[in-house]
Amino acid sequence: MAHGAYLHDLRFWKNRRFITSTFIFAVVASLCVFVLLPTFYLISFTLTRWTEVYADVFANPLIGDENWMQILRYLSFSLRLSIVAVALDFLFGIPLAYFLARKQFLGKSLLEDIITLSLVIPTSGFGVATLLTWTGVSGLGVLLGRGVVEASYVVPIVNVPFLMLLVHVALTFPYVVRTLQGKLENLEPIFAQASRTLGASAFTTFRKIIFPLSIPALFSGGVLAFARSLGETGATMVVASIHTTAPMAIVRWVSEFKLATASFLGFLLIIFATIAILLVDVFVQRIGAFKTPKSNTLARIGHQVLRTEKVLSGKLRWLKDIASLAAVLTIVILPIIVVLTSVGAYWSLDPDTGKYQGSVLYQLFGPPNYFSSLMSATLTSVLVAVISTYIAACIAIPSVYLIKRYRAGGTLRHLLRIPLIVPSSALGLSVLLLWGPSGLNLATPGIWLIVLTHIVFSVPVVMEPTIAVYEGSGISMYEGVARTLGATPYDAVETISIPMLKRGILAGVILSFTRSLGETGATFLVMGSDVTVPPLVVNMVESLAIPAALFASAYLIALSLILLLLFRIVVRK
Amino acid sequence: MPDVKLVKARKTFDKGRIVAVDQVSLHVRDKEYFSLVGPSGCGKTTTLRMIAGLVEPDEGEIFIGDKLVTSLPPEDRDIGYVFQQYALFPNMDVWDNVTYGPTVKAWTEKKRERIGREMLEMVKLYDRADAIPDELSGGMMQRVALSRALAAGSKLLLLDEPLGALDAKIRNELRYEIRKLVNDLELTAIHVTHDQAEAMAVSDRIAIMKKGRILQVGTPYELYMKPQEIFVANFIGESNFLEGRVVRLTDDIATIRLRGDLKVRARRNEASKRNERVVLAIRPEAFEISKRQRKSVNELKGVVEKVRFEGTDIRYELRLANDDSVIVVRPSLGGEWFKHNDKITISFSPDKTHTFLYPPQGLLTELELE
Ligand SMILES: Nc1ncnc2c1ncn2[C@@H]1O[C@H](COP(=O)(O)OP(=O)(O)O)[C@@H](O)[C@H]1O
Ligand SMILES: [Mg+2]
Repeated sequence: MAHGAYLHDLRFWKNRRFITSTFIFAVVASLCVFVLLPTFYLISFTLTRWTEVYADVFANPLIGDENWMQILRYLSFSLRLSIVAVALDFLFGIPLAYFLARKQFLGKSLLEDIITLSLVIPTSGFGVATLLTWTGVSGLGVLLGRGVVEASYVVPIVNVPFLMLLVHVALTFPYVVRTLQGKLENLEPIFAQASRTLGASAFTTFRKIIFPLSIPALFSGGVLAFARSLGETGATMVVASIHTTAPMAIVRWVSEFKLATASFLGFLLIIFATIAILLVDVFVQRIGAFKTPKSNTLARIGHQVLRTEKVLSGKLRWLKDIASLAAVLTIVILPIIVVLTSVGAYWSLDPDTGKYQGSVLYQLFGPPNYFSSLMSATLTSVLVAVISTYIAACIAIPSVYLIKRYRAGGTLRHLLRIPLIVPSSALGLSVLLLWGPSGLNLATPGIWLIVLTHIVFSVPVVMEPTIAVYEGSGISMYEGVARTLGATPYDAVETISIPMLKRGILAGVILSFTRSLGETGATFLVMGSDVTVPPLVVNMVESLAIPAALFASAYLIALSLILLLLFRIVVRK
Repeated sequence: MPDVKLVKARKTFDKGRIVAVDQVSLHVRDKEYFSLVGPSGCGKTTTLRMIAGLVEPDEGEIFIGDKLVTSLPPEDRDIGYVFQQYALFPNMDVWDNVTYGPTVKAWTEKKRERIGREMLEMVKLYDRADAIPDELSGGMMQRVALSRALAAGSKLLLLDEPLGALDAKIRNELRYEIRKLVNDLELTAIHVTHDQAEAMAVSDRIAIMKKGRILQVGTPYELYMKPQEIFVANFIGESNFLEGRVVRLTDDIATIRLRGDLKVRARRNEASKRNERVVLAIRPEAFEISKRQRKSVNELKGVVEKVRFEGTDIRYELRLANDDSVIVVRPSLGGEWFKHNDKITISFSPDKTHTFLYPPQGLLTELELE
């Protein structure tokens, strides 16, 4: 009898294995088709058509290697911009992260919300806000009666445009702050307190203990910020004036049908981003902490250093906290306030010239009739966001299981982080070439191609917070418990894991929805005539319909504020 | 009905680099309270998880009742498992936690109600049925976990350090509570702990594990009185170890020459031939201690080096004439007390000793925990 029971069980077990492998196959296949293939297609496209690309970029019969020269120019410009932006991120971000990790104060969660806001804000809307704040008469200019700076003003020495630098810092510093803050909150109490009890001043503790321990976090935050800056399109296009960055060049070249040159530049951007993230994931995270190098010079002047640090610990603290707070408020909050209030100022007439033609009302409902295009763009945007987020969630949630359960999961996770940092215009180009008319011809530019593009980054966006919750809540232990109580693996997932993961999934879904709603760079390339709101804003700016752009930006920002509120409720429950 | 058999079970991790459980064979009898004891990292949890089906052994077989369960998933093994970290589902209240097993097994509503109530009353927490786990104290959470493990009617209870996260006082109470429950419900229990005192207090039989292997299985009495290995003699209770050589052997007595030419008589055990190198194990509580010589067997002279009053007991650290050091523990309310530097004589009866062969890798290596 025992023997029979054994056979029965064995068959049952095998059957279950069959279901499991079908499941794994389905998930891996959809990840490959919807996420990984589009991400890396541009690389294989460029390599397989190398002769074509080479002929166009390096040996054009008409202009020789002028295209290559342009690529180099845009690329070096973009790299310089990103490096300066990340340097400023560190300058403001490190004290801010330290401040947030250490202090409890009134308004702390508001400050954290502001930092989150710059991650989710639709960038083209934010670009309009910044443009208006610094160059318009109704922004900071009210004090002077004219714009504070010219739109094309270039910061001397570092040689990057002022406005671009501002939006890039505003949109990237949260990566530095959040990764570092997370790390500091974990190690602050034990190590730092130990160091202080041993007699080290706050500054010395920072230099000898906290800083070395948080270098890996700084690296990953820095790389994320760098990648985001390198790929930023929406706000950059709005404030660009006469300057062109690499992602903008891709958008322009695609619209001029210079596909070979555009894809080569996109290829380079993807390679840069991939190398950056692999460096961080594979090397830096392994090391864990850096040893402070033993320096003889430092030892000699050690006593002096320690004394200075003691003094600084007492006095300088206020200064750096205030400075970084002020910076955040100026570059993030001020533009938002300006754009929201300016809509009122421009409502019925242009405050500058006093003309009705320059008012929001005229441009929305008058002959230009931007209101109806805004409404149809909103419909497209929301449809795209809903569909792509839904499909992304269906792929992402089972992927979390694969990643946490199987040995190869770690590699898969590294791979899936790449779409998050690949410059979105390169991604859009990749999708266009893969699914579009010149590739498999599955969809023509339009809403479905936008959906296919947004899925690529939405999957990792949904996945990351879900994994974070998974790791933070001991799901696999609870599943084990459920199994010992008689739950099948499916019962366990349904009754334990999904309810426990719910918050992570919801957070991911909201983030993905927001990101889809604000995406500009990739959407430009794949939208055809189905315009979404962020590209519409850019078009408005380019056709100098500033009041309409103002209204649309305020509208987008208001939408993202509502989503942020939702996100906050979900995350802080 | 549920006895548990492991036959040469082996489990490795990290592609074979870590051998967590090595060729373990065990037979836990029906309705027995069985403990698995050993230093942490010795493979107790892994053994228990193999029995539960949470990990699959690389080699060997596992039977529950008469059924081969080696690759049966946990939900089909009909077990109750209690985890050290309680592991109450944080997304459910106490009631839903306790009735989880009956729910996923699709028992009728009526039966679920009855069982849930019975189980919670059994651990005296029925009035907290609506609480979420975070609101309960550690002891309460573990009692809920216990009733949850038993709610589906399993007769085999697996406990992994169930008391490890609790305060000392509650730990002591709860261990007798669990023992009583196991008796009343006629369960078979396998209890994993690194705390030998806990295991000694409640178990019918105990298996001592070290580095993935089982060294000895026996009742608490057998393990204390007849340890078969030096490690066991030290891990269950405590022992003094004196090195020496056999000088004479009779039927059950070995005469052993210690360092400094001191001769003592001990139980023969493993000693098999003259001049063999051996280790003599004597428990601290096996010694008589006095200031006068009494002309009995096995008298050794020494000086009190340290005295520590520990409440129930007094603990003396002595230095013998041959410079060996010995720990002696006496009940503090019985007999004479001694002070630092007192010259004393200790004695012990040969049948309170154990003789082991000197371990080839040395005594300290043998006693290492990991
Ligand atoms: N999932 C795992 N992966 C790798 N090593 C493990 C795993 N589980 C246990 N081990 C290792 O196996 C050994 C035995 O562990 P365990 O059974 O938990 O010991 P115990 O419960 O006796 O403390 C330890 O060295 C532990 O590090
Ligand atoms: Mg354990």
